[in-house]
Order: sequence, then structure tokens, then C-alpha cells
Amino acid sequence: MSTRRDRVADTSGLSDFGAERRRFLKNSGGLVLAFSLFGPAVALADERSARAAGGAPGSTAPFPSVDPANLDAWLAIHPDNTATLFTGKVEQGNGSPNALLQIAAEELDFPFERFHLVMGTTTETVDQGPSYGSMAVRYAGPQVRHAAAAGRQVLLDMASKHFGVPVDRLMAQNGRIAMNGSPKRAITYGELVDGKRLDVTIGASGKRFDMKVAPDVKLKDPSKYTVVGKSVLRKDIPGKVTGEFTYLQDVKVPGMLHGRVVRPYGIESKLLNVDESGLKDIPGFVQVVRERNFLGVVAETEWGAIQAAQKLGSKLMRRGPTDGLAKWSDWQGLAATDEVWNVVRKAPGKDMVVASHGDVDKGLKGAQRTFKATYLTPFQTHGSIGPECAIADVGKKQAVFWAGTQMPHQARRDMAQLLHLPVENVEVKWIEASGQYGRNGLEHVMADAAIMSRAAGRPVRVQWMRWDSHGWDPKEPPIAQDLEAALDAHGNVTAWRHHMWIPTLSDTRLLASELIGKPVGKENLGHGAIGYEYTFANADVACHGESRVGVITAWMRAPGQFETTFAMESFIDELAAAAKQDPLEFRLKYLKDQRAIGVLKAAAKQYGWQSRPAFQHRQKSGAKATGRGIAWVNRDDTRVATIADVEVDRRTGAIRVIRVVVAHDCGMVISPDGMRNQIEGNVIQSMSRTLHEEVTFDHAHVTSRDWASYPILTFNEIPDTIETVLVNDSPDYPSTGGGEPSTCPTAAVISNAVYDATGVRLRQTPFRPERVKAALSRA
Amino acid sequence: MAKTMALKVNSETHSVSVDPGTMLLYVLRDDLKLHGPKFGCGLSECGACTIHLDGKAVHSCVLPVEAAVGHHITTLEGLGTVEKPSPMQQAFIDEQAVQCGYCINGMIMTASAFLAQHPNPSRDEIKQALNGNLCRCGTHMRIVRAVQRAAKTGRQA
Repeated sequence: MSTRRDRVADTSGLSDFGAERRRFLKNSGGLVLAFSLFGPAVALADERSARAAGGAPGSTAPFPSVDPANLDAWLAIHPDNTATLFTGKVEQGNGSPNALLQIAAEELDFPFERFHLVMGTTTETVDQGPSYGSMAVRYAGPQVRHAAAAGRQVLLDMASKHFGVPVDRLMAQNGRIAMNGSPKRAITYGELVDGKRLDVTIGASGKRFDMKVAPDVKLKDPSKYTVVGKSVLRKDIPGKVTGEFTYLQDVKVPGMLHGRVVRPYGIESKLLNVDESGLKDIPGFVQVVRERNFLGVVAETEWGAIQAAQKLGSKLMRRGPTDGLAKWSDWQGLAATDEVWNVVRKAPGKDMVVASHGDVDKGLKGAQRTFKATYLTPFQTHGSIGPECAIADVGKKQAVFWAGTQMPHQARRDMAQLLHLPVENVEVKWIEASGQYGRNGLEHVMADAAIMSRAAGRPVRVQWMRWDSHGWDPKEPPIAQDLEAALDAHGNVTAWRHHMWIPTLSDTRLLASELIGKPVGKENLGHGAIGYEYTFANADVACHGESRVGVITAWMRAPGQFETTFAMESFIDELAAAAKQDPLEFRLKYLKDQRAIGVLKAAAKQYGWQSRPAFQHRQKSGAKATGRGIAWVNRDDTRVATIADVEVDRRTGAIRVIRVVVAHDCGMVISPDGMRNQIEGNVIQSMSRTLHEEVTFDHAHVTSRDWASYPILTFNEIPDTIETVLVNDSPDYPSTGGGEPSTCPTAAVISNAVYDATGVRLRQTPFRPERVKAALSRA
Repeated sequence: MAKTMALKVNSETHSVSVDPGTMLLYVLRDDLKLHGPKFGCGLSECGACTIHLDGKAVHSCVLPVEAAVGHHITTLEGLGTVEKPSPMQQAFIDEQAVQCGYCINGMIMTASAFLAQHPNPSRDEIKQALNGNLCRCGTHMRIVRAVQRAAKTGRQA
């Protein structure tokens, strides 16, 4: 997009203090810092904000929500024949809003290159639900599609009036409407709309994911698609590779201070006292912000804030609760790293039956051979490369945030609650941040900024330090799983039991709100998606969930299902090996879902799979052994099968993944290259989670607070190839999600491949070399 | 206390008045508004803040601004623009080698300094050169392909 730089600082939405300052700055000819956003939609966005700030007709709220039943909420056509799509879905690095734009361009018959996107900002977009769970294209796709189709219909009606001919004599194509038979009589959308808002009722009902927009509109026949299904170039990439793109972390607003947090020493330590005398000499130091156990510092410069926070105790290595000018109570209530699974098993929660068929105990009792195994997975952290950041400008009556949250509309409600303001007095201006893979700290840092701005009476930009992010972002919880099964004399499965202990994956309490003693958010909600698809006659699959385990836990890419797929797809491999059967054929015997069978066969074909049982002492000696592994998943109706070759170094225990094949069925793919990029990302990140990642603790806090103590996959470890096969990519199969599913099989694939190579079964992630070496030496 | 210093950045001289112990990254981002280099860790562990100092890739998050005086500093903005990207930047566009893109500054700065010294690298040498740069989205395969493409373009030029 060539127009990224044409937006000057949109300060129209500043809080009451901010608006006053803006007038002051304007009158004094003061500094208005430029930051770029999304292109020519800006004029309209500014108009909306101005309209909002002035109060829309019938509303006195400063930041009213938009009405999804009005076309204007979704679409704007500009005089230069460019257009803007407004969506409540946001970019987190995976390009899914790009796919929404393709869907809209297709249905509107408008050139993709001239179509721009405004995402997330709460006065400008409809709340289509949070951008999580691989749901953007599946749920927001139809909403956007219907809105764009309604827009096309409205434009045809306008053209019909303009030319004085019935609609059926008109044709819309590429942003123009022409008369059939006389192509010279044509008008562009931009000329037709002539700078007006598309103030037309199109109808909408329901909320967020379930919202239906323009339900009766006629849609384009998918067989005529020319934009959907095509790999378009992502619009954000040129700006991102040249430094011209503006990330949230780059935004500066007039009068802004820099803030840093100083977290408690122990997770539940109390703040005893703060000696501020040593901070006065720090250049730019403004003030300490202390509210109960919340501690932060603001300064005129970023370096000043960092230095002040460091003196107060914010640093990588903290020697104890009194190391720094802030003194905390000693608190040692956490379980040590190796003990977390005992905590998980004992924590009170709720039980859920996933599947119950036949009589498992009977199946076990009468069996020729029985098997038992326990699978353990650790706490893991999001680890966005750019630590969490937000800017808040909190006034007495209203507040404005610049934020990268995956759920701007929900965050707005949470901030309103935190600040005791009506929801329509709070605005969240959404701007893309460093990548997110679930609920990292981007909502939490908004609360930090809010509390500091409220105290300082100026806008405050807070960015977490690396140790704040690794130390305090919500974590994917540790999970314990016990499995039990039986085989008869012919190698058939006669019983299958899978019990899992999964702490809550959606504790949304905001850390700062807890620290000030006024909690916002909910705890102990929700299970992860747990799939069970096999057709064993006797099966007992159950989950003990919704428990708490010492620190805030929340969703991280394929929450819970990454781990449960590891256990069930490794354990079935154990059974196949014991039955001396080919692991692919063994799985196929117990599947009836045709799309599951489809991806397994597609992956096998691409890989060149030869039927044989795993291991069988193929490689008895040698420093290195190679093996192959297979696993699959159904995550929210997207089926993925993965096969990989690995090499195990017997001397060091190091595992190298050589080749990965993924067969992926999410139905119709909007942008194939975008989908492949996402699949490659899922494979690499899940390899990292499998091979390296584990959050560590002492009894007070997280101790893996940087990249040295929480290593992730490096370039030297990447596979030679990742091959992807897109299965059922056709309009006959409505799109499901692609954001997460290909994360799920990886740990099982690697575990199964290591078994195939060495005969050793790895049942606890991460598979770090020392753990693998120890397992090999026990064998 | 603040000290006035002259910095040569992207072939222009800038006068900055800052605490001389300030790390160069914050001066580039906050005072000179050059947002190519990113804050990632502040610990020289991830590479998101990489710049060129006299053509060599260095981590600006741990380099005091005073130490950069008298040297040629190049940031991502100094390599090219959206209108006129450098061959390396163009290769990243051609390979669509970006997911969130926050780490990409470090990838491009590290790879371009590396290619200047090793114009004909193997895939393993490229991987080794980038091994100190972290990417969390998992764009590694494409990043390596982009560097291979840029090397090829460079050899043909």
C-alpha cells in the first residue's frame, strides 16, 4: 500500500485531558507526531471518530458503537474509487484479515489492490468476536461476504437510478458498473457514491461469532470466483520489510510519557515500601505509580523509565524480595517445576466426559495384553518477539487506548470496568503488534497503562521488558494424561482409556486489576477442544478441568489440544507397535471419518509411505538413527495429518527433524500461499514447543525469564523441507479454520519418529537432548 | 545528564541531546523516529534491534549511544523504501517471508551484512548466519529462501 504514511496522528479520540492538550498543541503550533495507519480509509475513519466525538444523532456517548445492520459499518467507497472494509477481526501475524479482504473484494466485484482494511478499532468496527480459535475466515468470512454482497446490490441500485435502466441491464465488474451492450456507458463505484456514507440498512441479527449480516442477500456463485482461492501478495509486507509499517510498539501520541512496570518478587508478594529517594537523579524521571501491590514508574524518556524501574527492582536477575528500592514480602507458595503435575492432579475443578462407549474395565480384564502410560507436558509461554505494549490516555470522563489486543471490543468492556466508566466512554484504537499466538499479555498491559495514565494525568506508553513478558504473560498450563488400553491376540484394540487433567485455559483476570485489589475478568472457565475420533468398542475418555495452578493460565495456540493430541496419537502408536502393525494402517482400521482418512492418505501419498511396523530393531548401532512418525488431528472440523522424518544423535540426544509433510483439510482455502505460510509457522513453532520449551519456577516466581532460560527453535534446527498438501480445497467444502490445527500433531509425530528410530518412547515434552539421552541410556 | 552528540545515520548527520549511557536503540526509535530496529529483549539475545555499524551487524539494544559516535550507522530504513526496496527487501517480498514481521528487521540487517561478506553462501551457511536471530511465528523456511534469492540476485547483478 503506497498510502501508509498519509495519516497524521489521529488525536481526535484523545480523552478529555487529551482533547484539551490537542487544542493547546494546535493553538501553540505544537508538535503533532505522525504515525501511519491503513490508507485512504482514514478520511472516513476520521469522520467517524469526529462524528463519534461530537456525538452521533440520538447519542451523547463520546465513543458510540457502530450499527452492524447498516452497510456503513462494514464498507466505505471513496471518491478516488478506492474502498475500505471495516472488520472487528484483527491481524496477529497470520494474514487472516487479508483473507477477509479477498472475500469482500470477490463479492463486491472490486479490485483487491484498491481495497483497504480497517481492523479492530471500537468506534469504527463491528464486534465480530475475538480473533482466536482459528475462527476468522469460518465465522467472520460469511459476515463480511454478506455485507459486501449487500454493498454490491446497493451500488447496482444506485447505478440503476443513475442510468435510468433496470438493474438487470447492468453489470458490476472491477469497481465499475457498465450497461450491458454499451460498455462505454459506465461509472466507477467512487463516482457513483460521490464521497457519501453508505447509509443503508442491510439488516443484522445475533452477536459476535453468531451474527448474521444481510441474511437475504444474493451471493456470487463460487464457481465464478476470481479473487478467492488466489494467492494474493500480502499488503503489509512491503512496509514491514522497509521499516515504514507502524506497529503498535512504534506509536507515539502527543504529551506521552513512558512507563515500566515493577512486578512483585513472588507471585503473591505484598508491596511493603518504596524508597523513591534514589530515583530523583534519573534524567526524565516523573513519578512512581503505586496502588496497593501495583508498582510502576513513568518518565519523559524510555531510557529514564527503564533505569528507574531497574532501580526499583525490575531486572532479569533479582536476588530476593528486597533487591531494589521496592521491598516486597517473601512469598514461596509455588510448586517447583517438577512438581506441577501433582498440583494439576490435585487441584479442584470440574469433570467432563468426552466419550464413553461399552465397558472398558471388562475390555481390560479379558485382554491378552494391557498397556499403561502417562504423558506430561509443561507450562509454556507465548514469547512474542516484541514484548507487550499499550498506550492509555485516561481522563476523568473518558479513556482512549492504543492497543494490539486480539479482542479490542472485549478489552474495551474490561477497561470500562477497570476505570468505572460507561463502555461508550472508552475507545480502543487497534494497531497491529508483534505476533500473538493466543492470549499473551496484550490485554494485561492495557490495564498497566490505564493505571499509570490515571495517576500521571497524561498519556502513558507501557512496554513490558523481556522478563515481564516471559515472567508474567498468561501461560499455557501443564497437563497430565493417563492412558490405558488392551490388545487381543490378533492385535485388535479391546479397550481404550484416556484421562486428562487440564487446568483452566481461560483465566482472564487482569493482573494489574488483581494487584490493585479490584479484579476484572473471569477465572476457571472453559476446557480446550478435546477430540476423540477412534471407533474402539470400549472407550472411556474424560477430562478433569477448570482448575487453577498458581499462575494465570490462558489459551495458547491450539490450547489443550496440542497436548492431548500428543498423548493420544503417541499412545495409539504404542499399540500399533506392540501389535507389530503399520501405524498408518492401524489408525485407519479405527476411523470412519472420511475427511480424516483423506488427510492421512494424502500425507502418506505425498511422503511415499511404505507399509511396515515401527522400529523392529532396524538400526541396532551407529551414532545416528533415523525414523518416521505419523499423527493426525481434527481441530474444530479441520483435519490435519503430519508425517516427519527425524534423526536422533545417540551420543548427544539431539533430535533433528529432516522432512515434514502436512496434509491439511480446512475446506476451501481463500489464499493458498497465506495458508501455506501459516502451516509452516505452525509446524516450526510446534517443533519448538516439542523440542525445547518449558517454563521453570522456583517457589516464588517464574525463573525462565529470557531467551537463554527459555530457548526456542533456531535456524540451525529447521527442517530441510516442509511440504503441504491442501485437501478438499473447493467451494463444495465450506472453509473451516487454519490458524492452529497444524500445530496439534507435531509432538506425537516427533515422539513416534524417535521410537521408530530407536525403540525409545518419549512421553514428556520438551524432548531436550539431556532428557532424550537419559531415555536412550535407560533402554 | 544529557549530552549533545552527532550521529551519522543512513548517510545523514543528526544532533541528539540525550543521556550518553542511553542504548542506541532508544535514540534511533524515540529521538530519530526510525522504527526499523525493534525492542525485543534488551539483552542481545533475539536480534530484533539489529543495525549496521560501519557495515557490521550489531545489536543496538546493548550499544550505548556514545559508543556509536563517529561511526556509520545504517538502519532498515537506510537500505530501501517501499517505492525502492533493496534487493534483500525485495526478496523478502517475493518470497512473502513475513508473518507478523516484528523480527524481520533483524533478519534483513543480519542477512545483508552477511551477504556483503559471503556473496555465494550455502543454505547451511545462511542458517548459521541467522542462528542468533529469533522468529516466533516460524517463518524460518521462507526467510532462508529469501536470503538465497537475494544472494542469487546479487550474483546476477
